[in-house]
Amino acid sequence: MGSMKESKAENGAAAPSPATNGGADPPTSEGEKNTPKRGRSVVSGGTPLEVGTRVMCRWRDQKPHPVKVIERRKILSGGPNDYEYYVHYTEFNRRLDEWVKLEQLDLDTVETDVDEKVEDKPVAEQVMPAVIVYLCTVPAINLKMTRHQKRKIDETHVEHGHEELDAASLREHEEFTKVKNIAKIELGRYEIDTWYFSPFPPEYSDSSKLFFCEFCLNFMKRKEQLQRHMRKCDLKHPPGDEIYRSGTLSMFEVDGKKNKVYGQNLCYLAKLFLDHKTLYYDVDLFLFYILCECDDRGCHMVGYFSKEKHSEESYNLACILTLPPYQRKGYGKFLIAFSYELSKKEGKVGTPERPLSDLGLLSYRGYWTRVLLDILKKHKGNISIKELSDMTAIKPDDILSTLQTLDLIQYRKGQHVICADPKVLDRHLKAAGRGGLEVDVIKLIWTPYKEQG
Amino acid sequence: MSRLSFRPRPLDIHKKLPIVKSIKEFEEDDAPTATSSTRNSLLPRVATAHDSEKHRTLGKKISQEIPTPQFSTVETYERDYSQTFSQTTSYIHARGARAEIGEFVEYDLDNEDEDWLEEFNNERKILSPEKFETLLFKLEILDHKARERAGVLTPTFGAPVPVLLQLESAAEALQSLSVRSIILQSVYNYWKSKREQWQKPILHHLQPPPPVNDTNPYNVFRPREKAHRLHTRRMQRRENNVQSFEKLRQVRLSLEQAKRVVEVLIKREQKKREFMECAVNLQRTKLKYKHEAQLVDDRMALSGFPGSWKFTSSDDDDDDDDDDMDTDYTQSWPASFYPNYADSNLMVVRKEPIKRELKQRYVSDGWLERMDPDEPIMLFSKPLDSDRLAAFGIMPPSHPPTDDGSVIPAFRARIGRGGRIIFDRCDPHL
Repeated sequence: MGSMKESKAENGAAAPSPATNGGADPPTSEGEKNTPKRGRSVVSGGTPLEVGTRVMCRWRDQKPHPVKVIERRKILSGGPNDYEYYVHYTEFNRRLDEWVKLEQLDLDTVETDVDEKVEDKPVAEQVMPAVIVYLCTVPAINLKMTRHQKRKIDETHVEHGHEELDAASLREHEEFTKVKNIAKIELGRYEIDTWYFSPFPPEYSDSSKLFFCEFCLNFMKRKEQLQRHMRKCDLKHPPGDEIYRSGTLSMFEVDGKKNKVYGQNLCYLAKLFLDHKTLYYDVDLFLFYILCECDDRGCHMVGYFSKEKHSEESYNLACILTLPPYQRKGYGKFLIAFSYELSKKEGKVGTPERPLSDLGLLSYRGYWTRVLLDILKKHKGNISIKELSDMTAIKPDDILSTLQTLDLIQYRKGQHVICADPKVLDRHLKAAGRGGLEVDVIKLIWTPYKEQG
Repeated sequence: MSRLSFRPRPLDIHKKLPIVKSIKEFEEDDAPTATSSTRNSLLPRVATAHDSEKHRTLGKKISQEIPTPQFSTVETYERDYSQTFSQTTSYIHARGARAEIGEFVEYDLDNEDEDWLEEFNNERKILSPEKFETLLFKLEILDHKARERAGVLTPTFGAPVPVLLQLESAAEALQSLSVRSIILQSVYNYWKSKREQWQKPILHHLQPPPPVNDTNPYNVFRPREKAHRLHTRRMQRRENNVQSFEKLRQVRLSLEQAKRVVEVLIKREQKKREFMECAVNLQRTKLKYKHEAQLVDDRMALSGFPGSWKFTSSDDDDDDDDDDMDTDYTQSWPASFYPNYADSNLMVVRKEPIKRELKQRYVSDGWLERMDPDEPIMLFSKPLDSDRLAAFGIMPPSHPPTDDGSVIPAFRARIGRGGRIIFDRCDPHL
């Protein structure tokens, strides 16, 4: 889709200043040069920026973007008032929140009208220790606020990708997970910046980078530990049954009950890239479908989806993730298509569990659009939504919302008609993008869980 | 854009929808179509006004790339991971879980362990990290088994998990590893202090999950409360505790009491019914006896009477409500009641239900006559007495005079169901 090039380019541009995500690194010399001009005038008095401050910040594209300060911490090797700041870029999803140095902030643009919530923070919070305590008991919204103020926040606070959660649970969620605990992971060939908080066991909370074994997904805090692990690790593929193989692409089915540790490791890993995933319940009621690219080093996970063994709400997918290095190559759509192929084999309609993330919704809309419009293009005569659902295993509600979003269902003279102008359909299909990787059903050798002994 | 101001009726998913291939078909129609088609020809992603907010934000997003955090490649990768994998020709089949296979050392040293080992080795090669890993792993497993034997394994993490494994038994079990006892003792002590500090097993898969009612979002992978959810809300409300047990016991007690009361009631009602049946039989017997005696007298007076009465059977008497009662009473009727014709013409059975005869009883009363022969007889109702009716101001409708001056009754009176007095018009042609 050409998007790969773009992100590669971004990579290149950002490369000279790796300090962007540098965690607790001491300020670079470049930074020292920059700050005195603007920064010191405001901050030299010993008053660091308050949490909640809005300011412009230089991002990886080297352009200023508006941010809000979420958290701050003292720099270990710095002076008494040297802080770094965890900021949220208000234009972007939370996944881009990061620790930045003072020199990245344009202090001329500081907006001093910090919201009430922050001013009321207890004194203990103002003196943050160098090591951040992640357990936060401060309520998200101060009780002193009027209802009007609350509503205002509710209205302005809803971000893209969260539309399916109500404001209260969203606030709670953000409070718990506002700061990423793990900044980077190493997984196989790639070192990946994480996107979100993940509730790793407390033993791992003092580490900003984790090393994952590519195959069994055990995670460690030091590279040497990983290297020692790799010498003994006997896995070269996910610990389950291969149920699909096409060229170098393989799909494995892993039972969360039989491979609990693997399932849990996968969940910890996936949570780093999924905002609204819950690790609240154990993995034994789920099946994990791991998509791998295989070479002479083993089967490398590119993404996965999980599925409840018995879903009462006819969910055919609980969580879906394509790992960042493999994104925008059609793997996500492959995973979605695969989940529907499984549903077809089960003879059921299915739908993904909600809420969908922004990227997830985009992929699903693309898939639904392609599948439905392909049928509409070829179909002769009338067709009901139910028939479309039976053909595709897509839930009728999803079919309706897709067709309505594309404005293909018109209400005319007291009845609904599907408006399938070939030109319009082609335009929609083009916008939805091509599927890329097709699921070859003949290569799927699989028995539904219920029919497995 | 008036079209957008109303919401069309909900779409029936079972209804076949026509697929319109050409937009022109629409444009030839009325004006609203034109609006919608121009809208269609605009950017496809501009959602319509009646679409939800969600769809609209999605539409915007298609146009721009969603920025995501970055990644880079690891230089040491090709050294860390060996090129020893080749795909089998058939699909790979899972082996058992690692822990079950046995020999795999599931534990990986953490920072703390490495630091301790470095200090312990002190530049010498006393204990290799691999051996140390194995020892810690085996200690964990042995302790787990010890706790299992002692029956102190908890399904969820409630209290700190104690160390039960003793050094002596550990040394015994680990003999095959041929570790010097002094090293084993150090490792054991280190492991035990680490365990006491952690208050839980250090091996991931042996750590008990948090309890079901724990709400701390940092504790993860709880067991599910129930494998299946109950079907109704009422069932979901019912909890399985002492209170509901007591409640159910109370319910059971009340139900048993109610059952006893009902049983006694049934008995009483049966007695009442038997009593009533007796009374009815007695009455019938009296009536019948009186009536039959009269009939028999009448028959005696009429010579050449063609038929006879049937008392012995009621098999053809099936269209009547009080069938059973008739049967009972005919059968229980002792033959000695009819000494007069028991020996004369009883054998000549006239196929006519006895009821008919009883009904005919009223014919002589003139307007007190039943129209419908099948209508059940009110056995114990008094015949309508025209004089008494007149006393209450109820008069039979006047009979129209006929040609020859005689009075033919045009109405018949009867007592309908529920005791109402009903006058039926007679068929004048009869």
